[in-house]
Amino acid sequence: MKREISASNDAPRVQSGVPDRTFWGRLTGWAPYTAMMRLVTASPKRQFAILAALPIVWVLTQHLGPMLQMLRVSLTDAYPVAPGVEQHFTFDNYLRFFGDSIFWMPFFRTLTFAAAFTFCTLVLAYPVAYFLARHVSRRNQMLFLLILLIPFWVGEIVRTYAIMILLGNTGALNLALKWLGLIDQPIPFMYTGFSMGVGIVYLTALYMLLPLYSALEKLPKSMNEAAADLGAGPWTRFWRISLPMTLEGIASGCTLVFLISTGFYATPVLLGGPSTTVFAETIAGFFHVAGDQWPTGAAFAVLMFVAALLITAAFQKLMSALRRGESR
Amino acid sequence: MNDRVELYRGNRILLSCLYWAFVVYVFVPLILMVMMGFKDSKFIGFPIKSWTLDWYVEVFRDAEVMFAFGYSMLIAILSTLISVVVGTWIAVLLEGRRFHGRAVMFGLTVLPALVPGIISAIAFRIYARWVGIEPGMGAIVWSHAVHNVPFVALVVMARLSTLPKSQIEAARDLGADPLVAFIRITLPYLAPAILGASIFCLLLSFDDFVRSFFLGGYEPTLPVLIFAKLRSGMSPEINAIASIALVLTAIIGVWAERFTRRLNKDN
Repeated sequence: MKREISASNDAPRVQSGVPDRTFWGRLTGWAPYTAMMRLVTASPKRQFAILAALPIVWVLTQHLGPMLQMLRVSLTDAYPVAPGVEQHFTFDNYLRFFGDSIFWMPFFRTLTFAAAFTFCTLVLAYPVAYFLARHVSRRNQMLFLLILLIPFWVGEIVRTYAIMILLGNTGALNLALKWLGLIDQPIPFMYTGFSMGVGIVYLTALYMLLPLYSALEKLPKSMNEAAADLGAGPWTRFWRISLPMTLEGIASGCTLVFLISTGFYATPVLLGGPSTTVFAETIAGFFHVAGDQWPTGAAFAVLMFVAALLITAAFQKLMSALRRGESR
Repeated sequence: MNDRVELYRGNRILLSCLYWAFVVYVFVPLILMVMMGFKDSKFIGFPIKSWTLDWYVEVFRDAEVMFAFGYSMLIAILSTLISVVVGTWIAVLLEGRRFHGRAVMFGLTVLPALVPGIISAIAFRIYARWVGIEPGMGAIVWSHAVHNVPFVALVVMARLSTLPKSQIEAARDLGADPLVAFIRITLPYLAPAILGASIFCLLLSFDDFVRSFFLGGYEPTLPVLIFAKLRSGMSPEINAIASIALVLTAIIGVWAERFTRRLNKDN
């Protein structure tokens, strides 16, 4: 209906030869422009090719390119190549990893830490997301969420520094404990796995909170009410309804937090100590020292990425298996 | 029945306590950090006995810090411009007509957002070297732009999927070619999403440490400068710098949140 009206109103004006004086009218009437558009839209295929060209080139050269180049460098014996030196293909950079415990210890430490921190974040964020999605009125939900978003706009370094001030020997936590009479001497929280954990959980909590919140928000309230009417207590309702129904949110939140946790560099440097060296620091070391250590660094980065991807893939598989089991 | 209502209320109180405890956990470190910037002593630590504004005066006198502020902002603006154009373009392609390899294209689009920070920085460092970009502003802008494209693409795609197709058809029926229809119908409809995504990119870039650190030249961006200062020792001046950065980012974040919400409602 609408189509007919518009056609009858406007089509004659265009055809009657009265020039359209607006910017767009003039542009579309301008011969070079119309010629160009005719060329571009000559066929749907060509139009699509022109639309797709830039994204495809960008994604291949800018998104995939750096990863592939890293992989290539990791398989060579010299990079950047000095003049007069020939570059050879080699697996030595990967073999080097298994040869020394100062390489693989941080590697496994990073993965264990990341898994542990991810679990802590999940336990911390779930009740908060649950409260937001189920117990706050729709009108207030955005406000309550926004309150939590504000600190997360602040950068990694600033927030890490805030944790340093909180946990230092003369920090707020030690002062509070002393004031409560719980301790005489300050507890050395800093430069341990604990301080690193507090920092990383602090940095990643939001990435867990948002997927959980959107999963819980979709959960129909009636299900919980029905379960309650059938006599299920809050604990049973949580185990039998909320948790199984939000496995997808849990899976995506954990994946995100795990991947982010493995990639932190500044936070472990500032909050961790010599006993908590993570793999990011090991990798970075190869790029700071002089000499052609880049291939080794690249190989280690590839190992880290592959390991992190395999773990998250296995985790996602596990979660979807659980989900299928629950729905049966 | 009454028991159950009691239980439900008990639950609710417990959960709300947990929520507020979380709010405290999230805010207290930042508040303490801001407070420390007003401490009248060079020594970082509690208790704070007397207060001063000297550290802020010092920050504004420190040319290095002021330069880092401006440098970070310039990098954020330039990289955001690139990310927004490319991200929107990719979103239009992905939300348009179905094509072979769309899933692959989508996977590649989100790839930079999934690569852990240090690995992405290393990959960019190696690639920049290969392409021949020297470490410095150009390299940082480029790495931030690439890293932020997925966020723009995802936000714009979400908005694009709700665009009523009839509007585009109407414009085409009235004689608009695809480009004019895109500029006059699609773009205005996408405006809130694009604006929200650009603010997000600006903040991501302004706050980014790891890429700026590995791709930077001699001039440090603000996070890199704070990091370098922290490694040589804590001082209330760092608190003052960090507090200014914090207030700036928080204000921009909240403003963008409210603004995009209002635009979304208008449409």
